[in-house]
Amino acid sequence: MPAHDLPLSAYLIVSATLFTIGVTGVLVRRNPLIIFMSIELMLNAVNLSFVAISSFLDSADGQMFVFLVLTVAAAEVVVGLAIIVSIFRTRRNIDVDEMNVLRG
Amino acid sequence: MTVIQLSFFVLAVASVASALGVILFKNAVNSALSLILTLIFLALFYLQLGAMFIAIVQILIYAGAIMVLFLFVVTMLASEADDTELHDRIPWQRWIAAILGLVLVGALSYLLFTGTTIDNGAKATGGNQLSQVVNSQGNIQAFGLALFYGFAFPFEVTSLLIIVAILGAMVLGRRA
Amino acid sequence: MINLSPLVLLMPLLGFIILGLVGRALPRPLILAVAWGGCGLAFLFATISFFSMLGTPVANRTSDLVLYTWVSSNDPQAPLLISFGQFLDPLSATMLMVVTGVGFLIHIYSAGYMEGDPGFWRFFSFMNLFIFAMVLLVSADNFLFLLVGWALVGLASFLLIGFWYTRRSAVAAAQKALVVNVIGDFGLMIAIFLLFKQFSVLNYFPNGSSGSGVFTAITSSMKGQPILTAIALCLFLACTAKSAQLPLYMWLPDAMEGPTPVSALIHAATMVTAGVYLVARAYPLFELAPTALLIVAVIGSVTALFAATIALCQLDIKRVLAYSTISQLGYMFMAEGAHNYSAGIFHLTTHAYFKALLFLGAGAVIHALDGEQDMRKMGGLSQRLRITYFTFLIATLAISGIPPFAGFWSKDEILSSLLTQATNGGGSIFYLLWIMGLLTAGLTAFYMFRLFFGIFNGDYRGNTSTSRTHEELLDEEEPSHSTGNHHTIHEAPPVMTVPLIILAVLSVIGGFVGSYGLFGLPNVHPFTSFLDPVFSTVHISEGSLGVQWLSTGVSILVALLGIFVAWRMYGRGFAYKENSNPIYQLVLHKYYVDEILNAIIVQPILWLGRAATRFLEGDTLDKGSQGVALALRGTSAGLRRLQTGYMRNYALAILVGVVLIIVYYAVRG
Repeated sequence: MPAHDLPLSAYLIVSATLFTIGVTGVLVRRNPLIIFMSIELMLNAVNLSFVAISSFLDSADGQMFVFLVLTVAAAEVVVGLAIIVSIFRTRRNIDVDEMNVLRG
Repeated sequence: MTVIQLSFFVLAVASVASALGVILFKNAVNSALSLILTLIFLALFYLQLGAMFIAIVQILIYAGAIMVLFLFVVTMLASEADDTELHDRIPWQRWIAAILGLVLVGALSYLLFTGTTIDNGAKATGGNQLSQVVNSQGNIQAFGLALFYGFAFPFEVTSLLIIVAILGAMVLGRRA
Repeated sequence: MINLSPLVLLMPLLGFIILGLVGRALPRPLILAVAWGGCGLAFLFATISFFSMLGTPVANRTSDLVLYTWVSSNDPQAPLLISFGQFLDPLSATMLMVVTGVGFLIHIYSAGYMEGDPGFWRFFSFMNLFIFAMVLLVSADNFLFLLVGWALVGLASFLLIGFWYTRRSAVAAAQKALVVNVIGDFGLMIAIFLLFKQFSVLNYFPNGSSGSGVFTAITSSMKGQPILTAIALCLFLACTAKSAQLPLYMWLPDAMEGPTPVSALIHAATMVTAGVYLVARAYPLFELAPTALLIVAVIGSVTALFAATIALCQLDIKRVLAYSTISQLGYMFMAEGAHNYSAGIFHLTTHAYFKALLFLGAGAVIHALDGEQDMRKMGGLSQRLRITYFTFLIATLAISGIPPFAGFWSKDEILSSLLTQATNGGGSIFYLLWIMGLLTAGLTAFYMFRLFFGIFNGDYRGNTSTSRTHEELLDEEEPSHSTGNHHTIHEAPPVMTVPLIILAVLSVIGGFVGSYGLFGLPNVHPFTSFLDPVFSTVHISEGSLGVQWLSTGVSILVALLGIFVAWRMYGRGFAYKENSNPIYQLVLHKYYVDEILNAIIVQPILWLGRAATRFLEGDTLDKGSQGVALALRGTSAGLRRLQTGYMRNYALAILVGVVLIIVYYAVRG
C-alpha cells in the first residue's frame, strides 16, 4: 500500500476543482473542440477520484472503472469528432452559438 | 513535509493551472497542448497513488492517441474557425458560469473536507487487498486478475462499444 | 265482469310503436290497417268491457287490476308503494267508450282528410299515441299514472298541433300549448305531493297491492280543511290548463293550427275533457273542499260566458268552434260545481258527439274549398255539400240546446241543477251562475247559427278560381290536401262522410239516456243511474218539477231567440262589413289577451334571456375562457424564452440544478 500522508479529501478536492474547471469550460467556450476538451477534462477529474478511492480502499475496483471510462472516452471522442467534422463540412462554421435552430 | 506531500501540492497546482489553460487559451491548439499537459500531471498523480498500470495506460491512450486525434481535427479546422470572440451573443453567460463554478468548487470542497472519511469496514481484506496482490505478483498481474475475474463482461461490452464507435465514425465520415 | 282495460291500453300503444318505427316504409293500406286496428281494437275491447259491466250487478261494477308493482319500500321511516293498475268503473268505462269510439270514427275520417300528406304515417302514429295516453289517463288507478297519462296527452297534443312543422305559426302554437299545459302539470304535481304527504298513498281505492286509498282515507271530518282546499285547487289548476278554462285557455284557439281531425279529437272530444274527468274522479276531495268547488263553478261559468262573447265575432270557422269548445267545457265545470258530476259527464259525452261532428264537418268544408277557413270566403255551399250541410245542421241544433237533440238533454240538466242548487239553499251565487249559463246558451245558439249560415247560406263569396299559385298556397291557413281536380267544389269522399253521418245519428239519439224527470218520470234517468255508484257519497236533491220546467223553458226560449236573431242577420248569407266600433274591435281581437300576455310575460322573459346571453355568457366567454387562453399564452411565451437554442444555456441550466443539490447537501451538513 502506498503511503497515505494526505487524507483522501485532498485528492478529492483536487478532482472537484478540475471537474469544475471542465464544467466552466463547457459553458464559456464557443469552439466545440474546446468544449469537447473540457468534457475530457471532466472525465479525467472523475478518473482521479476513482483511483484515489481505489488506493485508499485497497481495492482494484476503482482502477477497473478508470479503465472502462478510458475506453468509453476514446469511443466518444471518435464519434464526437466525426460529428464536428461533418457539421463543419456543411456549415463551414463551428461556433456552437450558430447552431440555434432549435430555438423556441 | 514529506516528499509525497510536497509532490502532491506541486502536482495539484500544476494540474489546476494547465486545466485553466485548457479553457482560457484562445487558440485551440494551445488548449489541446494544455490538456496534454494536464493529462500527464494526472498520470503522475496515479503513480503517486500506486496505480502504475493505469498511469502508463493514461499516457499511452489518452495523451498519446486521443489527444493526437484531437490535434488532427483542430489543425484541420483551425484555418476556418478562429475562436475569436466575434460576437458573443450571451455575454452574461460567462459571469454566471464563473460564479456558479466558484460556488460549486466551494460547496464540493466543503463537503469533501468535512465529510469524507474512509470507512474501515469498506476496505478490502485478506486476499482481496490490492496491495497484497501487487506485492506478491506485481502490478500488471494484479490489474489483469481483477479485470478478467470480476469485470470480464464489461470488458466484452466495451469491445462492442468500440466497434459501434468505429462504424459510427465511418458513417459520419463519408462525404454526403 | 271482464276488465279488458289492459288490452284497451295495449292496442294503441302497439299501433304507435309499429307506425313510429317502420311506418315510413309501409304502404298506405298497411298504415291504415295498423292505425285503425290500434284504435278500433281498443274500441272493441272497451265495448266488451262496457257490456260485461252492464251485465253485472250494480254493487260489483268496479274492478281494480294491479298489473305491476313499480316501487315497493317497506322501510317504516319512508314507506312507499307505487304500482300500476287499471281501474274500471262506470265512470272510466264511459270515458273509455267516448275516447276510443269517437277516436275510431276520427281515425277513419282522417284517412280521407290526410290523404296525400307526406307525413301520413307520422300522423297516425301520433294519433295512436294520443289514444294510448288518453286511455292511460282515464283508466289509471292511482294519481301518479294519471299524471303520466296527463303529461303524455300534452305531448301528443304538442306533436299533433305542430304536425306541419315547417310552418312557423304551427310550431309557435304547439309551443304555446305545451308551455301552458306544463303550468297545469305543475299544479297536478303539487297536488300529488300534497296528497302523498297527507295520505301516504296515491291510488284511488284499496287494491291488491295497497291497503288504503286516497278516497277511502278522506273522512268527512276533514271537511273544509285548508290542505284539502289546497289539493283541490292545485288539481283544478291542472284542469284549467288541460280543459282551457280561465286563466289558461289561450292555447286552445291557437291549437287550431293542427289538422282538423286533430282539432276534432283532441281539442274537442277527448283531451280537453280530461279536466272534467279529473274533477269527477276526485269528487270526494272536492266535496270536502266546498270553497274549491265553488271556485270550479264560478270559473266554469265565467269562462263559458267569456268565450261565448269572443266567438261572436270570429271569422275563422275553426276559431269559432274552438271558443265554443271552451264555452261548453265551462258548462261541464259548472255542473260539477253544482255537485252534479254525472250531468257534467253526460254533457261531456253529448258534447263529444256534436263537437266532433262540427269539427269534422268544418274539415269537410275546408277540404272541399282547398284549404279555405275564412268565413268571409264561404257561402252557398248548401247545395254542393249536401251531407256536410245536413250533418252540420244537426250538430248546430244539438249544440244550441234544441230538443230532441243530444245537447238539449245535457245542457238542460246542467242548468236545472244550477237553479236547483240556488233554490235549495246552495247559495244565491247559483242564481247568478244560472243566469250566466242562460246568457251563454243564447249566445251559443246565435254564434253557431251565424257560423252555419255563414258557411252554407247565400252566395258563394270565395275566389272563383280555386287553383292557386304555390306562394298563395303557402300563405294559406292549411296546406291543400285535395288530390282531385281543383276547379269544382265537391263533397268529401265516403271515408269522410260516413263518420259524419254516424256522429249525426249519435247527436240525435245521444241524449235519450238523459233524465226524464221533466216528463213526470223522475226515476228514469239511465245515464245518471249508471254513474250513481261512482258518486255514491253525493246526494243531489232533485229539484222540484216547477224549477225544472222553469229552467228548461227559459233555456229553450233563449236558444230560439238566439237562432232567430242569427237568422235575421245572416239568413241570406254572411255579408261582412268592417266595423270600427271599438267594442267590436275589442271582442274581435279576443280582448287582446294574447297581446297583453305577450307584453307582460313573454317579452320580459325574452329580454332577460338576451341580457343573460350578453352579460353572463359574454362575460364568461370574455373573462373566463379567453382569460384562461391568455394566461396560458402568456405563460408559454414566458417559458418559451428558456428555449434559446444555445446549447450552452441548456448546459448552464443543468449546472444550476447540480449546484443547488450540492449546496443543499453542504448546508444540511
